[in-house]
Amino acid sequence: MAEGDAQDTDPTLVERWLQDQQQWQRTLFTYLDSMMKNDEFLMHMGNAMRGSLLAGKPYPTATPAPAPADDPATADRLDKVLFALHQLQGQVKDILMTLDEMRGGRSPAARSARKKTRVRKASSGSGRKTGKRRTRS
Amino acid sequence: MTDPGRERELQAMLAHSEKTRAKLDRLHEVLTSGGHYGTGATPATVVYQENKLRLLRLLDASGQPRSGPPVLFVPAPVSRYFILDLLPGRSFAGHIAGAGFDVYIIDFGTPGDEDRFADLEYFVDGLVRRCVRTVSAISGRPAINVVGYCLGGTLSLLYTALYPSTVSRLVLLTTMIDGDVKGGIAWVAHQMGLAGESYDNPRLVPAAEIKGWFEMLAPGSNSLMGRVNDLWERLDDPPDRLRDVRTMATWVDDVVPAPGRLLAEMYQQFGPGRNRLIAGTATVGDRRIDTRAISMPLLSVSAATDLIAPAEGVDAIRLLVPHADVMRLPGGHVGIVAGRSATALWQRTVQFLQEG
Repeated sequence: MAEGDAQDTDPTLVERWLQDQQQWQRTLFTYLDSMMKNDEFLMHMGNAMRGSLLAGKPYPTATPAPAPADDPATADRLDKVLFALHQLQGQVKDILMTLDEMRGGRSPAARSARKKTRVRKASSGSGRKTGKRRTRS
Repeated sequence: MTDPGRERELQAMLAHSEKTRAKLDRLHEVLTSGGHYGTGATPATVVYQENKLRLLRLLDASGQPRSGPPVLFVPAPVSRYFILDLLPGRSFAGHIAGAGFDVYIIDFGTPGDEDRFADLEYFVDGLVRRCVRTVSAISGRPAINVVGYCLGGTLSLLYTALYPSTVSRLVLLTTMIDGDVKGGIAWVAHQMGLAGESYDNPRLVPAAEIKGWFEMLAPGSNSLMGRVNDLWERLDDPPDRLRDVRTMATWVDDVVPAPGRLLAEMYQQFGPGRNRLIAGTATVGDRRIDTRAISMPLLSVSAATDLIAPAEGVDAIRLLVPHADVMRLPGGHVGIVAGRSATALWQRTVQFLQEG
C-alpha cells in the first residue's frame, strides 16, 4: 500500500518539468532582482565570469599606464624629494622613540596603551578602595 | 505509453537542469552575502604608522589588547598582510593571539610612485626596526618574538642578524635562503627579466607584472577558461566553503606593486648565481650580515609542494644557523599558512613560542 501511495504522490515527468521551469524562472528573477537592487552585483558577476570570486573590487587587470608627466625629470625629482621626506619622517620617529626611552618612559604608542591599562586598573581599583572605606567605617 | 528509453533520457535532462540551477542559486547566495576582503579578520588597533605602513595590534573579544608575550608578524611587502589573518577560525595570527600572545602585524600598505626608491636598508633598518622598537616599548620587553613569512622572513632574518638582542625567538615561514636552488619565484623573475631591474633608476614594478611571475609558476592554472571551469566545479561545494574560496581568491588577486630598488637589490644579493646569504657576504646598507649573531631559538618551516619558495632552498637555513629547528610540512606556500590543514603550522608555532 505504501508503495502505491508513493506512486500516487510522485510527480510525473511532466509535473517535474513544469516545476523545474518555475524554479528556473525564480532563479532568473532572483538574479535580475539583485542586478536592479545591488549596485555591486554586476561587478561580482563579472568577476565570477572570469573565474574569480573576488569580491568588492574590480578584477585586477594590467595596471593602467600612468598619465604622462609634463616633465618626467621634474616628476622624478619630486618623487626623490618625497621619498627623502619619508626617510626623514622615519629618522624623526627614531629620535622621538630614543628621547622617550631616555626619559624612562616609552613611545607615544606605549604611553597610550599604558594609559588605557591605568584607566582599566583605576576603574577596577576604585571598587577595592570603596571596599576599604567600608571596612574602616 | 511513453518510450522507456526516451523517459530515461528526459529524466537525465531534468536532473542535469536541476543540478545546474542549484549551482547558479549557490553562486547567487555567495555573491550577495557579505564579503571579507582587504582587511584582517581579527579586530585590531593601529599602534604605529609611517609612510604607508601600519602596525596593527590584535584585540581580544572585548576589544582590549592582550598582555601576553609579544609576537610581531612580518608579511611579504609584495602581497597583502591579511593572508596571516584571513578568516575567523582560519587566522594564523588569530590562533597565536588565542593562545595568549600579544600579537602585532605589519601592514606595509600599497607603495606609491616615490616608494620605488625604497631599498633593503629602508625596510630592514627602518620600517621593521621601528616596528620592533614600538612593540618592545608597548610590551616593556627588550626582546620580542618575530614571525616572518616569505619575503617578510628574509627581512626578519636580516633584521635579527643586525639586532639579535631585540629578538627572543624567530620563526621563518617559507623563507628562501639558498637562491641557487632552482625553481620558485626568484628563478621565474630571473627568466622574466628581473636582472634588468635598475637599482639606480628604479621603477615601481606594477602589480600585474608581479602577478605574472606568480602565474608563470603554474602555467595554465590561471587561464581564464581554467579558472571558469574550476569555479563551475567548485559550485557543488557548500556556500561556507565557497566563501573561503572567495576570500582566498581575493588575496591571490590582490598583489601590490613593488619598489624596483628593493627587488633589484634583493636580486643582486640573493638571486640565482648571487646567493650572498649562503656566501656570507650579504649586506644591509653598509653593514655586513653575520648570521652567526643569530643565537636565539629559530624555527624554519618549509612547504613540501611550495612552488614559490622551493623547500630545499628554505631548509638551507641549516647552513647559516646550525641550531635552527627545521621542519617541512605537507602543502603549498599559502596552504600551510592559511589552508584547511594550516593548524599543523599554527600549533607548532604556538608550541615553539611557548618554549620561551
